[in-house]
Amino acid sequence: MFLHNFKYSFLFLLKNKSLVFWTFFFPIILGTFFYMTFSNIENNEKLKKINIAIINNEELKNDKLLLSVLGYLSEDNNNEIFSTIYTDLEKAKELLENKEIIGYLEIKNSKYLITIKENGIEQTIFKYIIDEIIETKIIIKDISSTEKNINLEELYNKINNNITKVVDMSSDNLSYTMIEYYTLIAMSCLYGGVFGMYAINNILANMSKQGARVAISSIKKRTLLLSSLLAAFLIQLIGSLLLLSYTIFILNVDYGNNIVNTLIMTVTGSIAGLTLGVAIAALFKTNENIKIGIILSITMLGSFLSGMMGITMKYIVDKNMPLLNIINPANMITDGFYSIYYYQSMDRFYFNIISLLIFSSIMVMISIVRLRSQKYDSI
Amino acid sequence: MKKIIEVKHLTKKYRKIKAIDNLSFYVFENEILGLLGPNGSGKTTTINAMLSLLSYDKGNICYLGKEITPDSYDIKKEIGVVFQEIAVFDELTVYENIDYFCGLYIEDKKIRKKYVDDAIKLVKLEQFVNYKPKALSGGLKRRLNIACGIAHKPKIIFLDEPTVAVDPQSRNNILEGIKKLRENGATIIYTTHYMEEVEKICDRIIILDKGKIICQGTKEELKQLTGIEEKVTIEINNLDRNHIEKFKKLQNVKNVEYRFENLEITFIKGKNNFTKLIDYLKKEKISYNKIYSEMPTLNDVFLELTGKDLKD
Repeated sequence: MFLHNFKYSFLFLLKNKSLVFWTFFFPIILGTFFYMTFSNIENNEKLKKINIAIINNEELKNDKLLLSVLGYLSEDNNNEIFSTIYTDLEKAKELLENKEIIGYLEIKNSKYLITIKENGIEQTIFKYIIDEIIETKIIIKDISSTEKNINLEELYNKINNNITKVVDMSSDNLSYTMIEYYTLIAMSCLYGGVFGMYAINNILANMSKQGARVAISSIKKRTLLLSSLLAAFLIQLIGSLLLLSYTIFILNVDYGNNIVNTLIMTVTGSIAGLTLGVAIAALFKTNENIKIGIILSITMLGSFLSGMMGITMKYIVDKNMPLLNIINPANMITDGFYSIYYYQSMDRFYFNIISLLIFSSIMVMISIVRLRSQKYDSI
Repeated sequence: MKKIIEVKHLTKKYRKIKAIDNLSFYVFENEILGLLGPNGSGKTTTINAMLSLLSYDKGNICYLGKEITPDSYDIKKEIGVVFQEIAVFDELTVYENIDYFCGLYIEDKKIRKKYVDDAIKLVKLEQFVNYKPKALSGGLKRRLNIACGIAHKPKIIFLDEPTVAVDPQSRNNILEGIKKLRENGATIIYTTHYMEEVEKICDRIIILDKGKIICQGTKEELKQLTGIEEKVTIEINNLDRNHIEKFKKLQNVKNVEYRFENLEITFIKGKNNFTKLIDYLKKEKISYNKIYSEMPTLNDVFLELTGKDLKD
């Protein structure tokens, strides 16, 4: 009986085309739109290398600090800012005229002369870095004038290690658009609640006409519930894993290197979604469409608050209404994925897993209280 | 006869309104019991209470002497229900639907397959086994609804208005199917507000109104309960006034009217009124084209007892 009901529950949930579209394919389509939109934004926002020229003269050759810093900032090492050309003054002027460089630096009589043609962010960065170098040189000069025995080579190295570094925040290691994909998985997990709702509606006498027919059969209510919910969970999990695979293999979303934790988070999120759907099915004695509406509203609102439409919202809620995100299952899932990807420590991951399990337990308790009765006042 | 179901003092209230008011009746083994009543008379509520789906305020319901509860799986195993609304899954085919509901009672796959095939044959859906319910006409859907309720060969079958919104041909098929189920040994509780159906297939009838039983018995017994008249119409050309007066003096005649070549004679309750009239026509050598008698219907009974029509 368990297997029979499981088989058919699985079949009629899977054959429900609109349900499968909204839970399986809609998140994939949404993910593809995210990919198309955000990858362009990220590419546009990536810091481009700044083309500069340095006038190659005798004074430059003696300026070890400048050569060292510019060398570091021009290397292909993920921290490069400049694309530097060492040339003569005439050539530098020509390059500037042709806008092939944004400016050039000439050291003349120990003075650093920066020539630019226009004002802008790139010119500001160029000037800021040269100013930093000049200041550092002054500090070295001061130290060496007072400390006669100082090893200048060692001092240069120390300063080099502490010199201001401009880091590209939009590098692969810190992509804010990852949050969008994490909220998408969270949305998919919670959308799965619709499967749980359908599974319950189909077997309870006071929920649907089919449920009345099932309820008068000689199969135990416990067996019916467990087999139907297992079928719903399995389908929901397939949907979530399909989306997860799509984001990993097609959209190249980075979930960190811990695939086991990623899967644990997906399964736990799916359990939370399923129990949410069951609780809503049990709590509201109304038609299926209204129940679907309630589940979708909770899911969309939760996803929005956890940063689906922009990470700023997550920060605003975290800062001003932290309780809201603590009880928001979409945020628990999103934050869980984020913690796998971003943090070395697993504390935050475990916190989210435990929060989701507590959330699921509360939903189960609500459902048990509501589903306990076997006779109804009206059907 | 063996009492298979016993309902005693069943009362169900929705807030202050009594949907069922102190209902007591029996269902005998292998009979077709008709629960007749207008919409809102409490037929479906009675059935749902008998199925232990609805809670009720007073009374008890016993199957073979054992009170039914939601956990009475041994009793439930013997019950089949065809609800008023079509209760099938649109995502499953005709075969899958019947197999699913049958499988909630019958575990053995081989036996189940046979039962499902038998049910399909009974409701004549052989050509539609791979169709989904949406592709079926209203009548075919009703037949599928019945097959889903009876496939596990239950001993007690509740049929709650199974012919609502069904074309005459499908209705006849359904009624024939119900008779076959009884022939196969089932006891049937049949609710409807179509009196013709009840007259056609039911052995006993309970008429409900406002949650109360207003009368019960065989259809003959019910018709005897009231002093309902019999109306005979004779098509006679050029009948003179003398003859009309003579008809008025016949035994049990209450009223005589002659209009548009039709003589309408209303008899009060009595035996062999129709036969005596034909004898009189022969004796008086009155030639006629057509003669027919209209016996009182259950609707007339209902009208007599409640002052309103069954379909109201």
